[in-house]
Amino acid sequence: MIEPDALDRVLPLTPTVFQVLVALADGPRHGYAIAREVDDLSDGRVVMGPGTLYGSLQRMQRARLIEETENPGEEGLHAERRRYYRITALGRAALRSESERLLRAANVAQERLGG
Amino acid sequence: MRKAHGGGPGRPERGTPAGPGDSGASERGAGSPDGPISRDRFRRLYERLLSLYPWAFRERYEADLLQVFDDRRREPRFRGWPGGVRLVAFLLRDFVTSIPLTHGNRNDETRWERMMSNLLRDLRYAGRMLVKDPLFTAAAVITLALGIGLNAATFSAVYGLLLRPLSGAEQPDRLVQLYRKWPGMDRGSYSIPHYQDVRDRSGEVFSDVAAWSFAPISVAADGRSQRVLGMLVSANFFQTYGVTPALGRVFLPGLEDRDPGAHPVAVLGHGFWTSRFGGDPSVVGRTLTVNGRPFQVVGVAPADFKGPLNVAATPIYVPLMEQPVIQPGFDLIHARGNNSLTAVARLRDGQTVQRAGQVMSAILAQLREEYPEQYKNQVGTTIVPQMEAGIAPQFRAAQVKMSAVMMVVVSLLLLIACVNVANLFLARARERRRELGIRLSLGAGRWRIVQQLLVESFLFSVVAGLAGIGLAEIAVHVLSTVRPPMDGPWALSVGMDRTVLVYALLVALATALVFGLVPALQAAHPDTASAVKGEGPRHGGTSRMNKGLVVLQMALSLLLLITSGLFLRSLQGATRIDPGFKDPAHIAMASMDPGLQGYDATRSRTFWDRTLDEVRSLPGVGAAGLVNDPPLGLGGSDGGVTIPGYEFAEGEQRTVDYAFVTEGYFDAMGVRLLAGRAFTLQDDDNAPPVIVVNQRFAQRFWPGQSALGKVVHTAGADRRVVGVVETGKYRSLGEPPTSFMFLAQRQRHLTGMTLVARTKGDPQVIMQRIREIVRAQDPDLPVYDVRTMENFMGTALMPARLGGSVLGLFGLLGLVLAAVGIYGVMAYSVAQRRREIGIRVALGADRGTVIWMVLREGLRLTLLGAVIGLVAAAAGARLVKGLLYGVGTLDPVAFTAVPLVLVAVAALAVYLPARGAARADPMRVLKSE
Repeated sequence: MIEPDALDRVLPLTPTVFQVLVALADGPRHGYAIAREVDDLSDGRVVMGPGTLYGSLQRMQRARLIEETENPGEEGLHAERRRYYRITALGRAALRSESERLLRAANVAQERLGG
Repeated sequence: MRKAHGGGPGRPERGTPAGPGDSGASERGAGSPDGPISRDRFRRLYERLLSLYPWAFRERYEADLLQVFDDRRREPRFRGWPGGVRLVAFLLRDFVTSIPLTHGNRNDETRWERMMSNLLRDLRYAGRMLVKDPLFTAAAVITLALGIGLNAATFSAVYGLLLRPLSGAEQPDRLVQLYRKWPGMDRGSYSIPHYQDVRDRSGEVFSDVAAWSFAPISVAADGRSQRVLGMLVSANFFQTYGVTPALGRVFLPGLEDRDPGAHPVAVLGHGFWTSRFGGDPSVVGRTLTVNGRPFQVVGVAPADFKGPLNVAATPIYVPLMEQPVIQPGFDLIHARGNNSLTAVARLRDGQTVQRAGQVMSAILAQLREEYPEQYKNQVGTTIVPQMEAGIAPQFRAAQVKMSAVMMVVVSLLLLIACVNVANLFLARARERRRELGIRLSLGAGRWRIVQQLLVESFLFSVVAGLAGIGLAEIAVHVLSTVRPPMDGPWALSVGMDRTVLVYALLVALATALVFGLVPALQAAHPDTASAVKGEGPRHGGTSRMNKGLVVLQMALSLLLLITSGLFLRSLQGATRIDPGFKDPAHIAMASMDPGLQGYDATRSRTFWDRTLDEVRSLPGVGAAGLVNDPPLGLGGSDGGVTIPGYEFAEGEQRTVDYAFVTEGYFDAMGVRLLAGRAFTLQDDDNAPPVIVVNQRFAQRFWPGQSALGKVVHTAGADRRVVGVVETGKYRSLGEPPTSFMFLAQRQRHLTGMTLVARTKGDPQVIMQRIREIVRAQDPDLPVYDVRTMENFMGTALMPARLGGSVLGLFGLLGLVLAAVGIYGVMAYSVAQRRREIGIRVALGADRGTVIWMVLREGLRLTLLGAVIGLVAAAAGARLVKGLLYGVGTLDPVAFTAVPLVLVAVAALAVYLPARGAARADPMRVLKSE
């Protein structure tokens, strides 16, 4: 399974990595779709250009958080896209761990703010 | 199954383009609202940007990157003009932020990329080192800038004078100059008929043959008369050089090269057009008065073509066929034996100089058959590539040698500067020993360290090179204002052009290697253990380097200073050569040419007679006379001589230089009469032809006899020798004793003469009065070259004086650099031994003995260097013996004064610190290390 050391090595996640993992959490996507998803998820605050997009994807791939996969049969505009990504088990575990941490931190903040 | 354009189930699509029917990166029509730049070009630009990514990243993702680019482009926020701008900003920002992401893995980098990133890192580090110690940087940069800058400036002068191809000409390497070869004279000029025959018969090898000669010309326009040094040129002159006019036209071959006197047209030089006519384009078509006749301006030469010589800018060109008009009284059109032209030819493609030589020999053979009398003495033809021809043949050899000397001296200066800076770097490397030792023991490759130190050196060099170029600009600017003290269209074309800049850069790089390599290699010395511990260096490595530097410094400095010193003394000697006339400071000169103003022979004679009379009657004038070409000027003619009873030897020159003079000339100049008499008023057209010769002439042709009464056949008549004068200098101060003859002006009546007058008081007053006398007769007649003979000689002395100043400056700089360098090196080496000195004194040694011991050891090195330097200097002096006049090669002053001064400096450099060390409290010294 996932060794605890492997997890420690990738945590904590940067916001960009977090967003990308979220974008892939519900299924594989190709590069541009990931970028658009991150656009949306961050309310337009994180807009990735081609360089940062594939640069990050390459890094995440090396860190084994994501992996490349085949086109799952989409058509039309996306038929010729070759490079699809999906989240790995490690990625999923990292995402879960990180989101739990964020949730806990947010809760503490809310309590202290008295709301 | 994921839906297109992701978003979760039920998530509305946001601003995405049309649905699945849309195809991807298809071309859109021209009217698409895609933004400011066409789709194609923008994409191509982005591709170009992508090429800056590391190779590995690009190879993998290029297609994807471009696809995302296409996608982003289609988004509404990036549409249209403002969208396009936003997109560009977006992509640039993306590129910059993604750089660290893409340079991820070391193993992915190609060798080239790794080298580049190392280099960048080294450069950043070197830059930091540069600013960290500003004093060090300033010292090193200034020293190097001096050396590099002076080198570049000297090269610029040498290049402009000797090496630069003729500016403005097309393919100047295909141009050659042709000369007639006579016994004893390799570079004889051409006459007009000879030139015409050569031109017409050499079509096989030359596509064009042109000819030119200087011609004093009086140009009058808008009521103002100006005497300039123009040129008579053949009609195909501009075509031969490959020059097209800036305005109007040039001369027409086939039309304007026949019918003497029928083509009163002129082409103006660009500089003259700008200065005299304000660059007014309407000058084309205007009529000027040239030597009293109307000439029409038909064109203006382009700005980059100044004429056939590198040092003068020709103001006006007139066709050769106008020669009788320009030089009234001399018809050279039909005079085959009257040679005044320089001939230049363009080699046809594929033809060689050898083939040209053969063709010329054949032509000469033909001409010899057709005109046996005129060609019986000509032995051949000399062909010289245009670039090697130089200003005048007699100057070229001296120019080359002088330039070589300058370059050598300035290079020595640079070497000394390098040694100084190497020493500085060495000292600093010692201080960084600890840091470098640690890096070495942590596994840094030795080569990497050397590389990094070299990059530092290069950075210093580049900075110094830039500063040096600035320095050179100033120096060159000063140089370009140097002019001979003679009225003329001088335009020295020295400047910091591309060649000189490239040279400066190369010098800077070479310099970096020279001073950087040694400290770099030394710093990576495998003595890391002690370095890290902070101990001093073991005896051996460092000291050896130190000792080597001392010796080198001493030797180089000696070589430089002795060489400069020798030349300075030699140049001093040049200025003291006896020119053959007395007290040139009190000889007033003034030149006029009434013939250029259109005076006929009678009017000219009357003018000169009257002028001479009035000048002679001035109070303060001792004697006055006329001469056509003053000695040591740039003019001069020679004529063939036949002496009854004298057989010319094979290869002996059959012409003798001459001048036309009047009565009173020898008295005015102070030339001593050795036998017989000078010319008198009676030696005129009605009297038998006479001649005065100098002693050398007499001894050459009538050894052991009196020359008086002997006959010389020259200038078309048998002339009787009536006087012999002492031998002087006529063409250059450095010439060996030469035969010379004087002909009577009153038997020839040339119009263009120089008046010389011996003045008793202030010559300025006399010169002013001479001007007034001329002006009273004709206010429009230009009077030029009004100066004392001493001033006039400045032209002959200019190389000596210029060379002297420059060498003196270099020598002085060299001395300062050397002294600083020697002091630094020796003081440092003594400082190294402070501890040892302290110990010795503490153990009871006598202070004086210790100092003497240190001094002795230090001086041993200095003397070794001195000996090496002296031997090198002696050898070098032998090489340049030909250039040194009046100075023996082992000139005692240079060879003793210089070493003494340097050794004294070195001794001081050792003594002072040694004394300091010996005097210091030994306990403190021991503790301070």
